[in-house]
Amino acid sequence: MSARPLHGVRVLDFGLLTAGANTSAMLADLGADVLKIESGAYLDPFRVVGKPDNDDGWWNRSPQFRFTNRNKRGLALNLKDPQGQRVIRELAARCDVVIENFRRGVLDRAGVGYKDLSAINPKLVFAAISSQGDTGPERMNVSFGSTLDATSGIAALTGYEGEEPRISGMDVNYPDQIVSLFAAGIVIIAIMVARRTRRGCFLDFSQREVASFTLGEEILAAACNPGRSSVRGGNAIEGIAQQDTYRCSDGRWIAVTSEIALPDLARFCAALTSTEAAAELLTRGIAAASCNDGGDLLRDVALAGVTLTRDEKGRLVKGLPYRLDGKGIVIECAAPDLGQHTEEVLRDLLGYDEAKLEELAKAGVTSTTPSTGDV
Amino acid sequence: MSAADTLPLQRFTVVEVNDRDVPQCLRLATSLAGKIAADLGADVLKVEPPGGDPVRKAPPFLPQGGSALFQFLNTSKRSLVLDLASDAGHAALGKLLDTADAVLFEEPACVAPQMRASRATPIEIAALPAGMQAGAHPVSEFTILAMSGLLHMIGEPERKPLRIGGHQASYAAGLTAFTGLAAALAARDAGRNAPAVRVSLTEVMQWVNWKAASGADASGVSPGREGKRSEFQVVPCRDGHVAVVHTATQWPAMRALVGDPRLDHVKYATRAGRRQNVAELYEILTPWLADKTRREIQALAQAKGVPFGPIFSPAELLAAEQYLARGFFTDIAHPTLGTLRLPQLPVQWNGRSFAPRPAPGLST
Repeated sequence: MSARPLHGVRVLDFGLLTAGANTSAMLADLGADVLKIESGAYLDPFRVVGKPDNDDGWWNRSPQFRFTNRNKRGLALNLKDPQGQRVIRELAARCDVVIENFRRGVLDRAGVGYKDLSAINPKLVFAAISSQGDTGPERMNVSFGSTLDATSGIAALTGYEGEEPRISGMDVNYPDQIVSLFAAGIVIIAIMVARRTRRGCFLDFSQREVASFTLGEEILAAACNPGRSSVRGGNAIEGIAQQDTYRCSDGRWIAVTSEIALPDLARFCAALTSTEAAAELLTRGIAAASCNDGGDLLRDVALAGVTLTRDEKGRLVKGLPYRLDGKGIVIECAAPDLGQHTEEVLRDLLGYDEAKLEELAKAGVTSTTPSTGDV
Repeated sequence: MSAADTLPLQRFTVVEVNDRDVPQCLRLATSLAGKIAADLGADVLKVEPPGGDPVRKAPPFLPQGGSALFQFLNTSKRSLVLDLASDAGHAALGKLLDTADAVLFEEPACVAPQMRASRATPIEIAALPAGMQAGAHPVSEFTILAMSGLLHMIGEPERKPLRIGGHQASYAAGLTAFTGLAAALAARDAGRNAPAVRVSLTEVMQWVNWKAASGADASGVSPGREGKRSEFQVVPCRDGHVAVVHTATQWPAMRALVGDPRLDHVKYATRAGRRQNVAELYEILTPWLADKTRREIQALAQAKGVPFGPIFSPAELLAAEQYLARGFFTDIAHPTLGTLRLPQLPVQWNGRSFAPRPAPGLST
C-alpha cells in the first residue's frame, strides 16, 4: 500500500469540541499521527456535555467525544504546570503542526504560544482557530456554535416567512461543523509549503469569518445595493418557482423543489404517504425527498455512504465527508481515554524513563482522571 | 509576508469542468473549491459549456447587471468555452488534462470517464453517495438538506421543517472538495499516489449533521427541531434580535448578567431544570433583552464571558468593526461591473490575506 497523503506528519492537537478537534481528526484520517493534548484540570468539553452518567470513568464514555477523536492518541498534561509546559515544548520540537481553538492568549500565557514554539521549531505550522480571529477589537470574544449563526449573517437568512431569525441550535451548531472542512485544507497546503521552504507559518482562522464567507454572494449583492433587504422567505428561494416542505398522510414531511408552480401540491402530498408522494414526484422529474431524522440516517446505510463507521470496539463514530480512492476509512484507534497514551508517547518520542514518568504522575503533571466535574 | 511573496498554490494547475445539464447545486460546489484554489494562487482554468456556466445568470443579481453568485464563486480563475460533446472539445480537454495537476468536475458529466483516467487527479462532485443511482433522481440543494436530516433540525416541532440560509449544502461540499484537492496536491508534491476524491453533497451534509446520528444511536431518539422548547432561542431586542446562547458552566455568569433574583430559584440550577422550565426562564430573559440594543447586549454579555449572539444581516456585516479591523472585505476592480466588495478567504497566513482577482468574462 502506498503512503497516505499525510503519512509522516505529526500533529500536536489542542483542539476542543468540533472546530478544533475535527480539523485534527481530518488530518489523522489522511494519515497524520495526531497527539491530542488535554489535562486533568481541563478536559475536552465534549467529554462532559456528552457524559451518559456520573459513574466512575464517565469522562471516557461521551459519544460526542468518541465520534470526533477517533484515530488520535491522547495525552493528559497540565498546561499550568511549568513541567507540563516543558513537555509540550519538547513535543513541539518533534511535531509539524499545532492545532488549537482556545480563547486567544491561553497558550501564550502558558509559554507555548506560536512565538514560543516557532522559536523551538521554525518549521511548525500553527493553526489558531478562534471565534473572531487573532486580531481586531473583538478578538477576545467568546462564542459557542450558534452564537456564530447569529453574528455571521446565516441566522438573518433563516426563518419562517416574515418571522424572526433562527439559529441552527445546539444539536447542529452549524458554523462549528464547516470550519474544519476549510481549515484542514489550508493546513495541508501550509504543510506542503513548510516542507518545501523549511519555514512554518501562523494560520489565523476566524470561525465567524468562515460562516460569513458562505454568504459571499449576499455580502457582495448588499455592498452593491445598500437598499437590499434580507428577508426570511421560509423555504422559498429566488429564481425557483416553488420550494417548500409538505406534510404527508403518514405525518412525515417531504421537501419539494419545482421549476414550475404546483398549486395543488399541498393537497397532493396530504393524500399520500411520504414515500408515495416523493416517488410520484420523482417520476415526474420533480426533485423531492423525505425529511429524514437521525434514526433514518442510521437505518439507510446506502445514503450514509462513508459518513459513519465503527471503531474497533464496534461503536458508531464519525467517518469521512468524502471518499478517497473510492473508500471510506478504517478506524485504527478508538478515541482515547483521558491520558491513555501519555506514557507511551513520552517514552517513545521523548525517551523518558520510568523514574521521570513516575515523577510527572506524582506531581500531577500527567493524569488519567479529571480534577473537574463540569464545563 | 509582503505582496511580492509567492502564493502557496502558485505552482499548480487545476482544470474545473462545468458540463451542461448538471444540477446547479453541484456547479456551486465545484466552483467554490476552484475559487479557493485560485485565490491561493493555483492556475484554475474553468471550462464552460457553449453559452457559459448557467450560474452566470443565477440570482442574486447586481444592480449594474450580472450575477453576484457567479462573481463570488469564480474569482481569480481563467475561463475557456468548450463544447465537450464535440470531438474537438473532447480533444482540447484531453490536452489540458495532460498538464494539469487536478481536475474538478461534476457527476454526471459526459466526459467523466476521460477525466477519471487522466493524469490529473480527479476531484469529483456528486449529489448522492457512490452506488446510488444519481441519474434517476432529480435533486436540489433543498432535497439534499431533507435527505441529510438537516431540515428536520430547524424550526418549531409542530410546524414545517426549515432550510438554513445560504447555499450551505453546496458550499460545505465545496469546502470539502477543496480539502480533498489540497490532500491530492500535497500527495503529488511529495511524490506519492494522490487519492481520487469523490464528494457527494448528501454525504457532506450528513457528516455535518452527525449529532443527529450520534444522538439517535445513543438514546434511540433522534434530536430534532425544538423551537420554543430549546435552551437557545432568538429573542427580540430594541434594534433587532439576539440569540441567547450559553454553556452549562456559563450559567452563573448569565444569571449575574441578567441580575434577576427569580433566576436564583433552584428549578434553574441544573441544565435539566432549565430545559424543563424553559418557557418561564424566557419570560424572565425577554424583558431584560427588550429594552437594550444588540451592541449593548453584546458588550454586557461579553464582559461576563457569556456568548450571546446579536443577529446581523449580510448588509450590516459590511460595517462590522471586527471585519473592518481585520480587512475581511476587499474591493476589486471589475472591468465591466466596477468596484465589487467581497469577503476574502477566511484565513490570514502570517498576517496575509488572499485578495481575489475578478471572475473571468465569457470568451466568444
